[in-house]
Amino acid sequence: MKKISMILMSCILISVSGCKKYIDVNTNPNQPLDVAEAQILAPVEVAISSKLYAGNVAVIVQEYMQVAALNQVAPNAGTYLMYNTDMNDDWRTLYVNCLNNLVTLNAKAVADGKTNYAGIAKILTAYCLGTGTDLWGDIPYSQAFKGTANFTPVYDTQKDIYTTIQSLLDAGIADIAKNGIISPGGDDFFYAGDMSKWTKLAYTLKARYYMHLTKAPGYTAATQAQLALTALQNGMQSNDDDFKMAYGGAAGAENPWQQNFISASTIVMASTAVNGFKTRNDPRLTIMVAPALATSLYTGLDQGLSTIGQLEEYSRPGSFYGAAGASNYIVNYSEALFIKAEATLILSGFSSAQAIYQSAISSHMTKLGVSTANANTYIASRPLTNANAEQLIIEEKGIANFLSLENFTDFRRTGFPILPAVKNALSAIPRRVLYPQTEIISNPQPQQSAKLTDRVWWDAQ
Amino acid sequence: MKLKRLFKRLVLLFLGIFVFGYNAKAQIITLKGKVSDEKGLSIPGASVKIKGTRKGTITNSEGIFTIDSNGPVILSVSAIGYTAKEVKVSNISNVNIILEEDNKTLSEVVVTALGIKRDKKVLTYSSQEIKGTDLVQGKDPNLVNDIAGKVSGVQITSSSGSPGSSTRIVVRGASSFYGNNDALMVVDGIPIDNSETGNLNSGPGSSRVADIDPSIIENINVLKGAAATALYGSLGANGVIIITTKTGSANKKPTINFTSDFSFENPLLPQIQSKYAQGTNGIYYNGDDQKTSTSWGPLMDTLKINGQPAKKYNQSDLFFKTGHTYNNVFSVNGGGAASNYYISYSNFNQQGTVPNTKFLRNSVFAKYSAQILPNLTTTFQLNYTNSQNDRLPEGYALESPVWTIFTAPISYNLLPYENADGTQRLYRYSRNNPYWVLDNISNKSGVNRFLPTFTADYKPLTWLTVTERFGADVYTEQDRYHESAESVSNPTGRIVVNNTNFRQFNNDLLISANHQFGDFNIDGVIGNNIYSQYSETAYANGVGLSVADLDNISSASTVTFIENQYNTRRIGFYAQSNIEYKKFLILSLTGRYDGSSVLSTAHNFYPYGSVATSFIFSEFFSKEFQDIMNLGKFRISYATIGGSNVVPYSLTTPYLTQSKDNIIRNISFPYNGQAGFLLSPTLGNPNLKNERINEFEAGFETGFFNNRISLEASYFAKKTTDGLIPGVSIAPSTGYDGTTVNTGIMQNRGIELLLNVVPVKTKDFTWNMTINYSRIRNKVLAIDGDLQQIGNGFTTIIVGQPYGTIYGTRYARTAQGQLRIDASGLPYADADQGVIGNINPDWTGGIANNIRYKQFNFSFFFDVKKGGDIQNNVDGYGYFYGTPKVTENRGLRVVPGVSDATGQANTVAVDGQAYYQRINGVTESVIQDGTYIKLRNVSVGYTVKPSWLRGSPFKAVNFSVTGRNLWIYAPHFTGGDPEVSSFGSSNGSQGIYSFSVPTSRSIDFSMKLTL
Repeated sequence: MKKISMILMSCILISVSGCKKYIDVNTNPNQPLDVAEAQILAPVEVAISSKLYAGNVAVIVQEYMQVAALNQVAPNAGTYLMYNTDMNDDWRTLYVNCLNNLVTLNAKAVADGKTNYAGIAKILTAYCLGTGTDLWGDIPYSQAFKGTANFTPVYDTQKDIYTTIQSLLDAGIADIAKNGIISPGGDDFFYAGDMSKWTKLAYTLKARYYMHLTKAPGYTAATQAQLALTALQNGMQSNDDDFKMAYGGAAGAENPWQQNFISASTIVMASTAVNGFKTRNDPRLTIMVAPALATSLYTGLDQGLSTIGQLEEYSRPGSFYGAAGASNYIVNYSEALFIKAEATLILSGFSSAQAIYQSAISSHMTKLGVSTANANTYIASRPLTNANAEQLIIEEKGIANFLSLENFTDFRRTGFPILPAVKNALSAIPRRVLYPQTEIISNPQPQQSAKLTDRVWWDAQ
Repeated sequence: MKLKRLFKRLVLLFLGIFVFGYNAKAQIITLKGKVSDEKGLSIPGASVKIKGTRKGTITNSEGIFTIDSNGPVILSVSAIGYTAKEVKVSNISNVNIILEEDNKTLSEVVVTALGIKRDKKVLTYSSQEIKGTDLVQGKDPNLVNDIAGKVSGVQITSSSGSPGSSTRIVVRGASSFYGNNDALMVVDGIPIDNSETGNLNSGPGSSRVADIDPSIIENINVLKGAAATALYGSLGANGVIIITTKTGSANKKPTINFTSDFSFENPLLPQIQSKYAQGTNGIYYNGDDQKTSTSWGPLMDTLKINGQPAKKYNQSDLFFKTGHTYNNVFSVNGGGAASNYYISYSNFNQQGTVPNTKFLRNSVFAKYSAQILPNLTTTFQLNYTNSQNDRLPEGYALESPVWTIFTAPISYNLLPYENADGTQRLYRYSRNNPYWVLDNISNKSGVNRFLPTFTADYKPLTWLTVTERFGADVYTEQDRYHESAESVSNPTGRIVVNNTNFRQFNNDLLISANHQFGDFNIDGVIGNNIYSQYSETAYANGVGLSVADLDNISSASTVTFIENQYNTRRIGFYAQSNIEYKKFLILSLTGRYDGSSVLSTAHNFYPYGSVATSFIFSEFFSKEFQDIMNLGKFRISYATIGGSNVVPYSLTTPYLTQSKDNIIRNISFPYNGQAGFLLSPTLGNPNLKNERINEFEAGFETGFFNNRISLEASYFAKKTTDGLIPGVSIAPSTGYDGTTVNTGIMQNRGIELLLNVVPVKTKDFTWNMTINYSRIRNKVLAIDGDLQQIGNGFTTIIVGQPYGTIYGTRYARTAQGQLRIDASGLPYADADQGVIGNINPDWTGGIANNIRYKQFNFSFFFDVKKGGDIQNNVDGYGYFYGTPKVTENRGLRVVPGVSDATGQANTVAVDGQAYYQRINGVTESVIQDGTYIKLRNVSVGYTVKPSWLRGSPFKAVNFSVTGRNLWIYAPHFTGGDPEVSSFGSSNGSQGIYSFSVPTSRSIDFSMKLTL
């Protein structure tokens, strides 16, 4: 009896001392707690191109801009039906996938002295903030990305976000100017580590975001135009400088816009956009628009219909923008020229802008492989006049910025292109998107009651 | 008549013992006798031993035994299913021994936590036992489905009718917010895994408890409250299902049992309209060059196509086939003087109602017990199972064939499914042709599983037992998914291979002692538990299939691969003591100290325990009153349990490779030669501690007329505090969209009743009726700080609401609650979403009847659910398409409500299509009350008279026919079966009926032979 209890006692003692160690197995064998800058940059770039530039809200914006149309019965996103939950994924892409990792990448690169990575992180942060604020207006930044330290970050005003964007771009340019030894390589899908192109992108973005404020309260178009022109002196100089993501096109490497237009989505091109090419006699029609499978005709779908049409009777984007192996031209040289044209128009009038406007169209047509003769005929058919200058610049900019979120900003800023009313529309054309339900539930902020037709700060009437 | 004769014999026997007992002489005589039951039926295979010796025998097929004795002896007679009896006999050479059937709760021994056997009468908490025979009658390969509706306080929800589909079992309401709320499964003292696995696309998987053949189970005991499960610690926080397998018996010749079942299954379909053709606004679309997803076309009866009357295609009848199930079980059991064995082999083969779906299970179970030394008994058992499951995607996934079958127009022939150029042929866009799916999409899983258990009981002293029990649960699972190119959703095709290695070890070393001190009987247990679970998965995803028909990942042009390993360990020390005073007052105390690897190192050890008492007041009744009320007992308990229901590695925030669940749209890393990691969207919480479940329980148990009527009632109040909520939503502007918190508070309160009545009990005719009733109320009291709601799949967790609230779009209403109607005469959705349903039933109940008349047995079982909302997603989509039965009424109507334009009652008429396509956008329109009454099981059996089998090799022959789901009354639900949850058994999948493979109505023919 005594023997037994002695044995038992010693057994228990041994196990007690061993059990702390026994349960010490909570070290994650699957996922690292730290990685190098290159491993973050590569997926962030893909997330920016495939999700932020071409995700759910990007498609919805193309429906607002009457470039894409959903082959479903109204009401739907194309007739301006939106719930807050519809924006959950896009906001998550922006904050969780892109910005949080860019902020982390910047901090890591600064700590590691990898100035080129730090510069890229700042420039991409500015791009993401710009995309976010133009969709939502006031958004969190200065109080965001603090994890447990702040579960309810207040939102920065859009004005502050615009200040932040410019300072991030300046800081990014300064980082790159330090000529760091370590540059990205294959992990940089945009520029393969060509830091001079990153700098040109940063200046082009500065110009873009200056121009966004042409009618913002307290800002003047002339000042903004001058700032833009100054920035553009160091901006993109040719189509080679395009900020673009190439896609291989093989399975698992398809362009996201090709994915957006696969038949399961029932999204095709809208009649407004397709008819525009025809009305203008635009030689880019056959390159930018694909003929309908069933009819071989270039036909867009009317939006807001109460019936479902024949999917195969409508056009999808042509292969230049819509093939599995197409590239995403996120910020491109033609846009830089159109910004220059618009800024020149503001400061010096339409005749000064004429040549810049024409070279902008030409740069896009060259990229698309339009013959010089056809390009010249087209350009000659659309000269700027005092009356139409802003309209034509913005219309042509929208074609060169095909599928870009930028077109929604230009539309709100200038009223161009002129868009017809959509059948069964639930409201006027939206001037923003809704805040996501996830934020409303977990981080209630006064801005979140905004409706689709409410204007963001810079969109003053 | 016969009874009287029997009584006479009994009296004579006792007289004989009494009168002649003292005159016996010491000489060897041969005792001959017969063992029979109360009905006079002989009991073959009963063990007859002379007390105090090793001499023993068993009865033959007629219940006859002979045994040599040398004078007056005491015979110990026992048989399975009967109360053992000791009979003093002298030299009477013809002894009749009558054994009473062991169905009395008075002496019911039940298996409690850690395999400790206790008399149910002295238990201080609620538990409910289900016999193996009742289980087998359920005819389902998953034992959880076999107990559905039978246990009070337990809610069982099956998922889909696809063979092998998962089932959820929740005891006394949800305790955890996320993670898992399913009860722990314990087989012969060893916890086994019951994860839902095997589905690589949409829909449920298989519950791994389906690897256990129900025919090897002797009984199941459901431990409901925290006081009952405290000894299981964290693992048992959601209730414990104690499964005890069959054993052989000592001194018994081999008994061979062979059972064969064959059944037919027919699907329970939702109500679909069969009057209108494909089209819109009454205009016919042919589906070939005029495509539309809707069935708002003209009346079929008058429709002419190319001058011919239109042909009707009843898509469900054409697609579903009659399912077949074969189940053959072969078992042998018996034993020698110091050992016994039980061996069973079963083959279960179910071919589902959807072509190409099946569940195949081959299972071998062997158990061998041996008394190695007089005071040392060992048992070794091994269960090996091979399960093969073929299923298809379900729900509203683009690959789900049932989706298209339930919404296809009746005017369209879905066959052939291909055009001449090899592309799919379909009446609409964005879906796969369901027949194309049958030939081009497959989801297969195969499991090889071993459950070895070793138990040793060592009794160094008469009052002391040392038990060592080691068990493992080891399985490998291979899952494959194949989707051919030309699929609408994955145009380049897709192959997924997912292999899992799972192993779980459990060891208990416990020392138990029992001693009588005067009026006190004290037993105590101390012990140690070590538990570890390790799993490893290798997942490969291939896209861009290059070789048609090759179901091998080498066909893919891009392959991404992910591996994951998970390791969880727990260690526990526990003690229990039961103090019994004069058999009427019992005090039970348990305590446990647990360590769990998944919590922060500062908080990974935590204590908990329970205190419980019961008072058997019937002990004070007079003998006369005890004839009326034989049992009266109060019990009361309080327990606190610590749970660590959180996955490992939740303390840190790692970087995740951007693949599989984190794929960036279609792009997986490594991509273009680059590895890619982004910060986990789920923020780690380094301070995680255990959650706590506190439960108060009170109950009483009564028995009348020697348990001809017995009633058991319990009340419980359970509260989860410091609730672990993994992945609770946080604002994405924090940089993360979720984290794990330790702050949830949720309560469950409920009443459970169990009434057992034996209205008739004679030799030829017995009628046994069991009624159970449960009513549980759940309320979420806190989530995290000010956070008021978090999503949970198809339901939402909202503070102040029950767990399982449906939140979504609702009708715009006036302040008085009337519908607001727009200018076109239609109701519309409110801009704000709100609470539109609660999936928890008001109450549930069941009535089981078992009637035996002579050789016939008749049983039937109703179960009832009152309330509990379901989102009928089949109608949700169907309203748009014009396919539910209600849309047959599609004429003009004036929707009752208040017109926004006039402020008066609406007068604008709208047609059916406009109305239904409008309310399609309002989720509230498809929230249906899931109330049902179900005739779940009806069985008629016949046992061949033993006298007829004389001279044959058979000891018993039994035939039975069982019908399942023969009648369902669901007044508010328009789907096929109100009992399903289409996307599986997990917490987030509940409350939705959505295009899953329908559950079935079935008829089963069964034959049982005993040799």
